Amino acid sequence: MNSLAFATIKELQKKLETKEISREELLDYFLQRCATVDKKIESLLEVYGKDEILKDVAHQGSLAGIPGVIKNNISLDGQKLTCSSKILENFTATYDATACARLKKEGALLIGAANMDEFAMGSSTETSAYKKTKNPWNLECVPGGSSGGSGAAVAAGLAPWALGSDTGGSVRQPAAFCGVVGIKPTYGLVSRYGLVAYASSLDQIGVFSRTVYDNALVLSAIAGHDLKDSSSLFVEKKDYTLRLNGELQSDLRIGIIDNALNADGMDPEISAAIETAVGVLEKQGAKVKRVSLPTMDYAAAAYFILSRAEAASNLSRFDGVRYGMRNKDAKTLSQMYFKTRHDGLGAEVKSRIMVGNYVLSAGHAGDFYENAKAVQRAIRAEFLESFKDVDLLVMPTHPAPAFKFGAYDVDKLQMDLQDYFTCPVNLAGIPAISLPCGFTKNKMPIGFQLIGPHFSESLLYKTAFAYEQQTQWHTMHPENL
Amino acid sequence: MAKISKEEILNIARMSHLDIHEDEIGPLKRQLESVLSYAERVSEIAAVGEDPSNKNINMYREDVVVKSDSQRILEQAPDCQEDYFVVPSILDKK
Repeated sequence: MNSLAFATIKELQKKLETKEISREELLDYFLQRCATVDKKIESLLEVYGKDEILKDVAHQGSLAGIPGVIKNNISLDGQKLTCSSKILENFTATYDATACARLKKEGALLIGAANMDEFAMGSSTETSAYKKTKNPWNLECVPGGSSGGSGAAVAAGLAPWALGSDTGGSVRQPAAFCGVVGIKPTYGLVSRYGLVAYASSLDQIGVFSRTVYDNALVLSAIAGHDLKDSSSLFVEKKDYTLRLNGELQSDLRIGIIDNALNADGMDPEISAAIETAVGVLEKQGAKVKRVSLPTMDYAAAAYFILSRAEAASNLSRFDGVRYGMRNKDAKTLSQMYFKTRHDGLGAEVKSRIMVGNYVLSAGHAGDFYENAKAVQRAIRAEFLESFKDVDLLVMPTHPAPAFKFGAYDVDKLQMDLQDYFTCPVNLAGIPAISLPCGFTKNKMPIGFQLIGPHFSESLLYKTAFAYEQQTQWHTMHPENL
Repeated sequence: MAKISKEEILNIARMSHLDIHEDEIGPLKRQLESVLSYAERVSEIAAVGEDPSNKNINMYREDVVVKSDSQRILEQAPDCQEDYFVVPSILDKK
């Protein structure tokens, strides 16, 4: 039966169509697998009951009967929405996020809530107030973050796909750490209605899967304009699986971001794996050139400032008045705010809120916030300029493989710098997909990013699929699960 | 290297509506200093002019009233009475 665990959506659909297995049998299988395997991985905060899962779900559709898990900062009507924070321990969502509503309409079965870094702040899922998710490839290592539960669940075969959110790399980095595919779509492509905000000008819902085709299938279900999200753009609904034929677009031009591949702290094993991956694309006919994007080296600094500033504002809503926990000892309203937030928010979240209020405060906003916005404009301009010469860019997803728990407890800045190669993409609002491209000698997965201009998801998938067809990485799965 | 005093930490905590215990000040100070020292490098880049295509776009729609079950939302409040959220008194009762 383990063949079901790591089957692709396409394969599962075939089994359902030919009645080799029924929708309920398939659901039972995955629920059973979550109940046993996730004891080791701890990727899920909750697995829902069968009746709840099947309620209001279409019988037909592009994802009919296919189970998936949802990062717990995306609302599912009637289910707990904790963002892995103590402050929302007892909070229940009262409506479906647009992405979830669309998935149900396509028949997808939303079977559980994925663990995450508290309010999506972190790169290892260690800041979750509830559990430490393990990397399925090595239980002593982190799965990445902030959508670490989503990445680990897909890698462990608990579901063939998952939703995450990506503000500075929170889908792509855990996808790379866990050896799966992860996309951060163009800003405005997927509605954020029902996604708990972290940094609103950067947040985007993304998809995890084990293959490129499956990823394109899920994105096709959730993408497209939504009146309920004012940042959602008028984009026609598209089937992103249509152009996946194993061939590259003719005369495809690819640029390797040289200064990224040679950046300080790049693990040579990862650089080598990426060079090999580019070689595969070159062999298929891509014209490859080396480019330099020097402004990118300022991206992490700008990202730290902008994301913390927006977080400080967005998280001010958690004050113990309307929902979530409240400190009961406070005698005055003001005391209640201060004590509730002290008790309910974790250390990383508090520190980010304070950095945010610092960079926004009178006397510092000029040096920090305004300069960071200028860097953001320069980075966008630099990316758009480079897309005049090349169709897609290649860059590492992560400088080093998944690390051990607690590795950055002392030096938090090094943890934050996990975002180095991923956050420039969010600052520019463009899409990027992280693909598995090998393993280190310690058998930990390596990923790389393909990056394209705004709304180039179709080309990204086409290229990614052609690459995947020439490699075996997507067929490898963690052992003993 | 950004240096932040204890008073500044307490002041930012106040702006952030966060109680800070004495033993939390040191670690927060170190963390803020480390992040801000790194972030300072944004000033090394000369400002690039505004380019409208460089901005996120807001989409507007008519504001339409839709019915929703306010009771379900009120039920989540730590304390509520009829259609109101209840909070502790604003002034300290001396």
